[in-house]
Amino acid sequence: MRSNRAGWALLTPTLVILAIVGFLPFLYVLYVSFFDWNPFSNQLGMKWTGVDNFRRLVFDGAFLDSLWRTGLFAFTTVTIELALGFLLAQTLVKSFPGRTVFRTIYVLPLVMAPIAVGATWRLLTIPGFGPIPYFLDKWFDIDFRLATFADQAFLTVIAMDVWHWTPFVTLTLLAGLTAMPKEPLEQAQVDGANRWQVFRYLTIPMMMPVLLTVIFIRLMDALRIVDEVFMLTSGGPGTATQFIGIHIYRVIVPKTDYGYGSAMSLMVLYFTIVLCWLLFIALAQVGKQRE
Amino acid sequence: MFKHKMTVMFSVLVLLSMVLSACTVAAPAPQPAAPAAESGEASWWRTASQAAGCEGVTIRGVSESTPPSRYAADVLAASFEAETGIKVELEATSWDEMYTKAINDMQAGTGIYDFVYIEQDIIYQYLANDYLTNLTQLLADNPELASPDFDFAKFTSFIDNFKDADGNIYGVPMEAFLKVYLYRLDLFNDPAIQEAFKAQYGYDLAPATTHQQYQDIADFFTQYGKDNDMELWGTTVQGNTGHASSFYEFFESIAPTFGVYNWGINQDNWKASVENGGEMNSDAAKEALAFWVGLLADAPPEATASTWDEVAASFAAGRAAQGWVYGENAAWIATDPERSKVVGNVGVALPPIAEGVMADAESGAGYIGYYDGGAFGLPVSSQNPLCTLLWMQYVGQESVQADWAIAGSRIVMESTYDDPKVQEVDAKVDGYYTLMRESGPLFRGAPPFPFHSALREVVQPFIWKALSGELTPAEALDQAAAAADAELVNLGYGQ
Amino acid sequence: MKSSALRKALGWIGLYGLWTVMIVITIVPIYWMIVVSARSRVELFDAPTLLIKSFYAPNYIKPLTDPVFQRYLINSLIIATSNALLVTILAMLATYALSRWRLPGADNIFFWTITQRMAPPAAFVLPMFLIYTRVFKIGDWTMFDTQFGLILLYCVFNLPFAVWLMKGIMDGVPIELDEAAFVDGANRWTVLTRVVAPLVAPGLAITFILSWIFAWNEYLFAANLTSVNARTITTGLAAFVSVTGTNWGEMAAVATVAILPALIFLVFVQRYIVTGLTFGAVKE
Repeated sequence: MRSNRAGWALLTPTLVILAIVGFLPFLYVLYVSFFDWNPFSNQLGMKWTGVDNFRRLVFDGAFLDSLWRTGLFAFTTVTIELALGFLLAQTLVKSFPGRTVFRTIYVLPLVMAPIAVGATWRLLTIPGFGPIPYFLDKWFDIDFRLATFADQAFLTVIAMDVWHWTPFVTLTLLAGLTAMPKEPLEQAQVDGANRWQVFRYLTIPMMMPVLLTVIFIRLMDALRIVDEVFMLTSGGPGTATQFIGIHIYRVIVPKTDYGYGSAMSLMVLYFTIVLCWLLFIALAQVGKQRE
Repeated sequence: MFKHKMTVMFSVLVLLSMVLSACTVAAPAPQPAAPAAESGEASWWRTASQAAGCEGVTIRGVSESTPPSRYAADVLAASFEAETGIKVELEATSWDEMYTKAINDMQAGTGIYDFVYIEQDIIYQYLANDYLTNLTQLLADNPELASPDFDFAKFTSFIDNFKDADGNIYGVPMEAFLKVYLYRLDLFNDPAIQEAFKAQYGYDLAPATTHQQYQDIADFFTQYGKDNDMELWGTTVQGNTGHASSFYEFFESIAPTFGVYNWGINQDNWKASVENGGEMNSDAAKEALAFWVGLLADAPPEATASTWDEVAASFAAGRAAQGWVYGENAAWIATDPERSKVVGNVGVALPPIAEGVMADAESGAGYIGYYDGGAFGLPVSSQNPLCTLLWMQYVGQESVQADWAIAGSRIVMESTYDDPKVQEVDAKVDGYYTLMRESGPLFRGAPPFPFHSALREVVQPFIWKALSGELTPAEALDQAAAAADAELVNLGYGQ
Repeated sequence: MKSSALRKALGWIGLYGLWTVMIVITIVPIYWMIVVSARSRVELFDAPTLLIKSFYAPNYIKPLTDPVFQRYLINSLIIATSNALLVTILAMLATYALSRWRLPGADNIFFWTITQRMAPPAAFVLPMFLIYTRVFKIGDWTMFDTQFGLILLYCVFNLPFAVWLMKGIMDGVPIELDEAAFVDGANRWTVLTRVVAPLVAPGLAITFILSWIFAWNEYLFAANLTSVNARTITTGLAAFVSVTGTNWGEMAAVATVAILPALIFLVFVQRYIVTGLTFGAVKE
């Protein structure tokens, strides 16, 4: 419709800002990724190595482990958050006494800084004064030390992420559910469809755009999680919770391996984009078939 | 209708933030404390500052947010400003963040910071990159700015860490500590405990001088805690399974007492593994790691989550009978009832060592523990090197040392030990300062590796895995040594 | 009839049971933080109890009376609010453009904006530092250590997010409404501000709120792109944590203070989310 110029004009500010603070640094990272550059190595300055950094990545066990661990973490948390979030959002659609209170309290974790979330969970789990190890030991005789046992650390990190982010999923899905047109649902009920059928053939397809958005946002953020895990376990014990964001942080910041770390970062970015793109296509396809 | 509410909300927030931002501008700068020397006559500092055109200049530094740095930021900066008219903004931040920021700045040559905290272990990285200004040279070039109250010769031998091969100095020491052996006087001096210990082990209970004794004492007190339903364990372990602190405790405090020095790296050919002439996975190193990891059984459950801070907290909470603790904490653990439950009950001693280590330490071939500390250095990228030079001399005066030592339990000058205020504290800390003065030379800082942090990052995961039980100590060190060999080649050492 | 009444009762029990559990799980960690913040250092390792026996005020008094800490709070407030405002406005304009025009390459733009948020952040600290200290440099002034720098930077994280959130909502506003307004003689701008904006207001509210929260909470860049003047509360919190790691009480107090404004903000805007959500039947 009409001239495109007005459309571009509305988009321009967004694109300009993203180009400056988003794309420019990206170009720099891309540039650095072709160099061998660690200021604290024996060879000072940057040395051009072509795609060597990327080639090294394929054989880097620590990197691949960390990638796999991150994938597992992201998949688990997003699945749990989505299922739980949908359930809770559905209960919130209809009004019932106490709904506002429940919702208000329930979304509290959402406003907490990841770093504060990590600190809070650390307070909960430190042996010696945290209540979780204390009561697990007292009631179930479980020796809970997440700095010693890898499984406990991994599960605790998942629990923390679910605690922190399910409110966001719930809130967004609730907004979607509330905004859904009521007629088709009422019509379906008149036609004698049962609850499951309504949910399966009406709610899900209509919610698809919102679901997509939520999955993407959560998946992206879960794949690059750093702050809260760093506060809770610093990636330990050993490397049990060293997700890719922390791994890259360690390579670039304390180890100052700028070139290799940049390559790693781009590789992860690439994987994430491919993953999201595939998901996007697959789900869009499913959505179309439904119609 | 909704739009109106949104509009109202937006305007309120915007207004609020505008008002507040006005507040920030208007907020008065923290008032400097009363100037130390307020006599109207121009002091040497004022004259020098005027001569260098520094009055009204602001210099900026970054340091770790520790008590000594806080003292410098709050007290010394204020009196310096009063004396010279130079404003000092000292950004005190966390350990990791401090490095990132200082390195980014010096690497890019931005010149944000006029002085940076240089820990003893990172100086070699900075020197290799020519980040720092040669202070000896700078003082020689600007004799009119050389304060009569400042002299590099007044510092303890700790200043040697900040010299290059020609003896030029690149940092003004501002803090130094030993990592010492702390033990609980009340427990060790209890006659009933002494008797029980002797009955069980056949010798008198006293601060451990060998690793076997240390192990016995740790076992004994852990059992004692259990038997008496106390929250007491035999030892602390700085065994965080995700933080560099555990790497440091092992390689700088434990391994040397087994005769494994300099992280077990052969500095002739830059190799770590035994096969290539290093010692990182030698039998002595494996014995050391097995001993240390074994201590976890006698340590409070938070040990695997403990950095240096938590170790001090555990000890201060009375949860451990003995342990390796950084000296910067010794004073407050022994004297501050606000923070510590073991005030007056802290004993200080040299750490237990294996045979032959003392001889190594006395001859200079080895050392018995870690001598920690740092200095202020002047990046070459600084925009105000001369004004900063004044500041560095100011904090390097003898007259400011004693109060600073009380505030941060750090000592960098020989004369500070003789100050009555310091001696008074010394008596309360079971002679920690005396021990530092007399036995300090037996301790040493990190080895002079320009690749310090890069190599640490590669080796530490194996130490963490040994602590969490994922690897046996022998496996961990074998893998660590192999990884270190590979990384050293990667870093351009020992092709 | 009976079975339906029973089912209804079970439904209620299930509903309240579920929510009671959720609320307890939500509250306990936050409550525990407050419990710890009320303890002095020597009481820390006392046996865990969920009761607050005494209140150790210095944990709060010390940071709250510290002018540096106050400045951090004010900076956070300014940065978060300005960024959220900027993001909300830009996102509304951008999604309106994306949903009303068939712009060539619009899908790619859409996807491109979102990839900005996907990258692991650590690698971008150094380039941002260089850009802020070298590129944005006018005389002695640089973007480093300014509130404006952070406000702009957070757009990278918030804008893509806002665009995605708003896109779905904007698409839901029937184009017929625009056209009807045009027929009535309204121009493009009037349509956007008077017809579309009120309809998508719930989306705008959520966008604003979530952007605000993110900007309030960001740590890594706030820590590395500021020095003294523009530091935010999260960097203050982090410094507290790693330095006085032992001093959990004071750390917990700082954390409590840091989330308090966000909590108050949330309670304040809850009403608007609620209004927005019940306003949700916008499509008619």
